[in-house]
This record gives sequence, structure tokens and C-alpha cells, in this order.
Amino acid sequence: MKNNHRIVDHPVLGSLPEKDSITFTFDGKEYSGLAGDTIASALLANGVRTLRVHEASGKPRGIYCNIGHCFECRVTVNSTSGVRACLTEIKDGMVIESGKPEAQPFASKNVQDFPRTYAEFEKKQKVKGDK
Amino acid sequence: MDNITICRCEEVTLEDIKNTAKKYNCTAREIKLRTRAGMGYCGGRTCRPIVDTVMEHVTGEKPGDNIPLKVQPPVRPVSLSTLEGKENEK
Ligand code: FES
Repeated sequence: MKNNHRIVDHPVLGSLPEKDSITFTFDGKEYSGLAGDTIASALLANGVRTLRVHEASGKPRGIYCNIGHCFECRVTVNSTSGVRACLTEIKDGMVIESGKPEAQPFASKNVQDFPRTYAEFEKKQKVKGDK
Repeated sequence: MDNITICRCEEVTLEDIKNTAKKYNCTAREIKLRTRAGMGYCGGRTCRPIVDTVMEHVTGEKPGDNIPLKVQPPVRPVSLSTLEGKENEK
């Protein structure tokens, strides 16, 4: 198995019991996990830490609270969006998509610079013409 | 330190909140409306206590003074299909 980020021998919890291996895809790439994993833990074991990006800024997001509180880890699972990766148990053949940046409105111009009346607009045009 | 993110859903930094609080000398509720801190996907459940604490430091407003940052149902974001009674896809 490729996922080598697991603690197989824990000083307190003992060794990792044998578990069935399952496969799933994340953003089209195939990964394997263990039965009983959450989506987040299976991906973390594969070294994937970025589960989505912020819709507006595109900055990466991943596990934050890991208890289903913050929705930072939401992904799209089998076409259902807004699924929390940290709470959802992974199933064989799951198709998971990360959160992508969304289209943003054009940056607005400085509102102060707009003329408020037609008279102001005319005045501005005139100043421009004078130059 | 000031560029630390307070509200992750709407990407509002500590600096944004401090500057807005100082500029407008406003309540936590107004901070929310001006910066969008606490208006994101998680419903403000993650950053609300932090925003309250920051406000206490900046303007001295105690959480719950005047108009508090309110909490209202649903407690968690719920999809319409769940409200409709459909089982979440298992
Ligand atoms: S990491 Fe916070 S809800 Fe999953």
C-alpha cells in the first residue's frame, strides 16, 4: 500500500489492526484507504492535505477542527456538495471532488471617482478636454 | 500576528477587524456586517467567540452588550434535501 503516513505501531493504542483496503478517487486520481477511514483521514494518509480552496481567494483549505464543526473540509462526494470530509466514512468507489475557486465579479472601480450627477459628469469631461 | 485569519469562511483577518472597529468604533454586530466575519458557510460558529474577544480588547464591548452576535437556528448548515426528509447519500 502506498499510504505511508499512518502510525502502524502506537505506544499506547498498539498496532494497527488488519483492515480491508478500499479505493476511491479524489479529483480524478485514484487512491486507496482503509475501511473505517474518514475521507479526510484516508486522504491525509495519502499525503493529501488540501481538500479545497477558498472560493474567492483560492487559498488552500484542509482539516481544521476535524470534528464536523467548521465545514472547512467540505468536499463534493458523488455529486453531493458540502460534505464534511472529516465526518464522512469513506466507501469503496467514492468519487470525491475538491472545492474549486468560484468565478468572481469584476473588481469594482473606486466609487468615489464616479460622477454623482450629470452636471458633475459634464464638468469632468470638460476638465479632461481642457488638458 | 495581525494577519492571522479570524474568520476562515470569509477570510477576515485580525487586522481587518481591528481596523474596522477602530475606524467606526462600532459594535460586534456592525463588525459582522462590515467585514462579513461570522457570515460564512459555518454560520459563524467557529469565529464568533474570537470576534467577541477581539471586540472586548479593541472597544471594550462585552459579548452580549447591546446587540450581540446572535445565534439562530438551524444550528448547523442543513441541505434542503435533508430538510425535506431525504436520507443523505450513504
Ligand atoms: S475539519 Fe472542521 S468540519 Fe471537518
